[in-house]
Amino acid sequence: MSAAETAPARYAGTRVPRVEDPRLLTGHGTYVDDVVRPGMLHAHFVRSPLARARIEGIDVTEALAVEGVHAVFTAEDLNPGVREQWYTLVGRDVPDTPRPPLAEGEVRFVGDPVALVVAADRYIAEDAAELVVVDYEPLPPVVDYATAREAAELVHAEYPRNVAGEMAGLPVEELAPVFDEAAFTVRETIHQQAYAAVPIETRGLVAEWSASTGEMTIWAATQSPHEVRLFCARLLGLDEHRVRVVMRDTGGGFGQKVMPQREDMCVMLASRKVRGPLKWIEDRRENLLSAGQARHEHADARMAFDADGSILAAAIDYVQDVGAYPIPWPVQTLPVVGLLFPGPYRVPQGTFATTAVFSNTVGRTAYRGPWQFESVAREVLLDIAARDMGMDPVELRRRNLLRRDELPLVNPCGMPYSDITPLETFEQALEMLDYGAFRREQERARAEGRFLGVGTCTYVEPTTGVMPLYATEGATIRIEPSGKVNVYVAGGSSGNSIETTVVQLTADALGVNIEDVNTIQGDTAITPFGGGTGGSRSGSMTAGAIAETASVLRERITAIAAHRLGVSAEDVELADGQARVPDKPEAVLSLAEVAATAYFQPENLPPGVQPGLEASGRYRARAPMIWANATHLCTCEVDVTTGEVKLLRHIVSEDCGPMINPSVVEGQIAGGTVQGIGGVLYEHLAYDEEGNPIATTFMDYLLPTSTEVPVIEYGHVETPGPGPGGYKGVGEGGAIGAPPAVVNAVADALAPFGAKITRLPVTPESIVTLVRRARTRGTVTG
Amino acid sequence: MKPAPFTYHAPEDAVEAVGLLAALGEEAKVIAGGQSLVPMLALRLAVFDHLVDLRRLTELRGVERRGTGLWIGAATTQAEVQRSAEVVRNVPLLARATPLIGHFQIRNRGTVGGSIAHADAAAEYPAVALALDAELETVSPRGWRTLPAAGFFTGMWSTALAPDELLTGITFPVRRPRSGFAVEEFARRSGDFAIAGAAVSVELDAGGRIHRCAIGLFGLGPTPLRASSAEKALAGRGADELPPGEVGRIALSEPESVPSDLHASADYRRHVGAVMVARAWQRAVKEANDA
Repeated sequence: MSAAETAPARYAGTRVPRVEDPRLLTGHGTYVDDVVRPGMLHAHFVRSPLARARIEGIDVTEALAVEGVHAVFTAEDLNPGVREQWYTLVGRDVPDTPRPPLAEGEVRFVGDPVALVVAADRYIAEDAAELVVVDYEPLPPVVDYATAREAAELVHAEYPRNVAGEMAGLPVEELAPVFDEAAFTVRETIHQQAYAAVPIETRGLVAEWSASTGEMTIWAATQSPHEVRLFCARLLGLDEHRVRVVMRDTGGGFGQKVMPQREDMCVMLASRKVRGPLKWIEDRRENLLSAGQARHEHADARMAFDADGSILAAAIDYVQDVGAYPIPWPVQTLPVVGLLFPGPYRVPQGTFATTAVFSNTVGRTAYRGPWQFESVAREVLLDIAARDMGMDPVELRRRNLLRRDELPLVNPCGMPYSDITPLETFEQALEMLDYGAFRREQERARAEGRFLGVGTCTYVEPTTGVMPLYATEGATIRIEPSGKVNVYVAGGSSGNSIETTVVQLTADALGVNIEDVNTIQGDTAITPFGGGTGGSRSGSMTAGAIAETASVLRERITAIAAHRLGVSAEDVELADGQARVPDKPEAVLSLAEVAATAYFQPENLPPGVQPGLEASGRYRARAPMIWANATHLCTCEVDVTTGEVKLLRHIVSEDCGPMINPSVVEGQIAGGTVQGIGGVLYEHLAYDEEGNPIATTFMDYLLPTSTEVPVIEYGHVETPGPGPGGYKGVGEGGAIGAPPAVVNAVADALAPFGAKITRLPVTPESIVTLVRRARTRGTVTG
Repeated sequence: MKPAPFTYHAPEDAVEAVGLLAALGEEAKVIAGGQSLVPMLALRLAVFDHLVDLRRLTELRGVERRGTGLWIGAATTQAEVQRSAEVVRNVPLLARATPLIGHFQIRNRGTVGGSIAHADAAAEYPAVALALDAELETVSPRGWRTLPAAGFFTGMWSTALAPDELLTGITFPVRRPRSGFAVEEFARRSGDFAIAGAAVSVELDAGGRIHRCAIGLFGLGPTPLRASSAEKALAGRGADELPPGEVGRIALSEPESVPSDLHASADYRRHVGAVMVARAWQRAVKEANDA
């Protein structure tokens, strides 16, 4: 057995402080807007004020005349420059939805980019943008995706019925006998409102074209620098090695920055037509107008149960709004909602139908757990079913949650579950709460006219999925002659602490002190190729890449040390930055001494051992996906007079395998949970009936703040998955599990009123309306 | 989100400031803390060729006892009001309303005069000024004058101030014995503009009957409002004679054009406004009874 596999972990599993924090917390991060290049110009977009209109003409004369304006581009100028436009994650050959850089002929949502002004500074660019005269012929918009399939108008003429794509399992009729004969069935249409990723750093890039060398350098706010490079090379017809993409800090992505969008295309195209580097930093209004929506969807969800409450079948007919210009092709991920609808339960039969529908609103983009609605629909439905059956929702779940002895198991839609612990996380969360005590407290409170509620959500989640861009990940480790270690990985951290975890894993893999390890990420010119942050993959994949690479170096270090110390390689252990022989205190070499031999004294190397201490390795995922799971449990008090919801506790028990760093795991869960809470109670990317967005600033788009969010409590179950270290993904789960738990908690508080929540967001007004209706019906009980 | 070009002026005193306003005309705007104006400029919802900054006008800052009133300079920040022991002692309603304004970063820059002159119908200070019958002291090239708060708020974001007139100070009546005060507001999140709110003052006579009372409403119309018919219905009655819910109901039967937006319909605003009045009334009466 080689040393690489036997060294005990010293840092993995511990709460190592984040290496990113000193610079970020003292305000010394480098985001796109911090990048300043000599002679840099500034871009600003002219955007459509209408949801749908024909562009009859664009007059840029007056704008061009403004002092300091360098250029004003329209679709005519930029769009013909596109050579190829497709995403590596999706592939070239799918029937992708349209995605022009600037609007061509027709604008399709409020915020659709129509022209690009380039000026000496952003102020001038915005002044000039007001002088661009666009002659619009208004057309009737298709605002409501839910009725878009019957609409007379088409968002894109080439898509009949406004359908972007459909994917389905078995015809639901085949399950009719089960539903017809079941002792109990539940069926609800559940609606979720549009909300969005809202990274605190908005989108943006600086593109610097060097005509003399034919090189493009891009500083980008991105989750995947290598994808930006691939995309840019294809877009402009450049050789990939002529494009360099650099990112240092990205202030949040959550899916919105997984791939370049239309504005990025425009800046890339325009940068070759202007003299100087070109910066575009999106402002908040633009981000809320045009960076993309998510979560706008509904489903007709059904379940059948036997007399004991065991699930017999589950079926979902799901429809999502993809807006006008979804990114990426929405049909690829569409069926996941259906495939995962059975969730962590014993569901003998199940099927789904899924449909993606265009509308004249901002395009759908990936958002932390893009299939999240499977959990919303299922968990909300289960609570309604329990209430209707007169059963405790916890008891109903206990009866149906998968046990470890039933695994591995393929769910009725074909999902191959393994290494999950839904029942364990469920019980752990209930224990952390003391469920029985809460129910008693709830009863006492009700007697006083106060309404407390508890809700749960248990889900399973495929992480680290193997898709074209994501199947492998590389690392280069260079041990310097001083014995200090540099580890290079593709990066793409948008706040997920990969710098910290990479340093931890490398220190362990080489048996060195963590202070002696540095990581370099986010620059395509110097890091190995990698897919970046997405699909909850970074932990597992970079761990694999580091392990592959480090094992080569461990073997070399061990061989050199054994040769120098006159012992056999099996006797050497690597620890504390030393190669040493246990029980022989004099037989020790520092890593610096080994490195000196490796670099400067090749004559002292054992035969067949390469000089230098630098290696690159590439990890290939062992499983098509790694399953993670969690239970969220939320308690709240509802003021039924005003409809105000106060969250009391939010407990998350999760199983992401062994934790590389519990603080990082909990940070990921916290961020996602807060987004989930926001999605239920506050955030709404709303449009009016004419297709005008009405939440375009933080006055109207309400993010939860520290005053609205309770302390989040964590429980951990650590079951290894089929990957390096047994690590599973944890980046997205918080945003999946939190929303149903919050909805169910509010619904539970309102149970005495017989109120049923099937439409999000849950606003104070919606609660007052539910309570009022119940009181009118005279159904108040309990 | 960059403002259109403007010329910046920083006069030394109030007279110079109003002289500038008169000379520059309607294209000029006063800027104090800038907490409402700057976002409007950045979004280009408002465009002015000239900004006249009050930051050098030290005469507009401070808290002073003047007879039966407490004078607060218009350029005094909300944070300074919050820290003032004089305000806590003499104008409890103002003191209690202040922490509800935005967040502390906003209160560090936002001013009393700015809030009242900006006249946002959902803001706390205009309703407090109205409920307390504050006196508003102004200066223009035509000289100084004092305006009652009643009648000052003329419409959405508009006031009785002439374009070249500057609000310099606000005098709030000092609290009297056997009085009570409360402010209640409902906002989607802590720090947001209120969906609906109520600022209540009540004074009892020796017999424990309502000597006078005022109910200021905010977020419930194009301007801050007084629930005058509720006040009339209450005057002379026993403090606990009308149930608070009834006070709320009467108060909210008055507003005629309750706003409706993404966060709340007019119906809901009216409902929650009545709840806020009831809660504020109950607390104010309790304080007056206990005083």
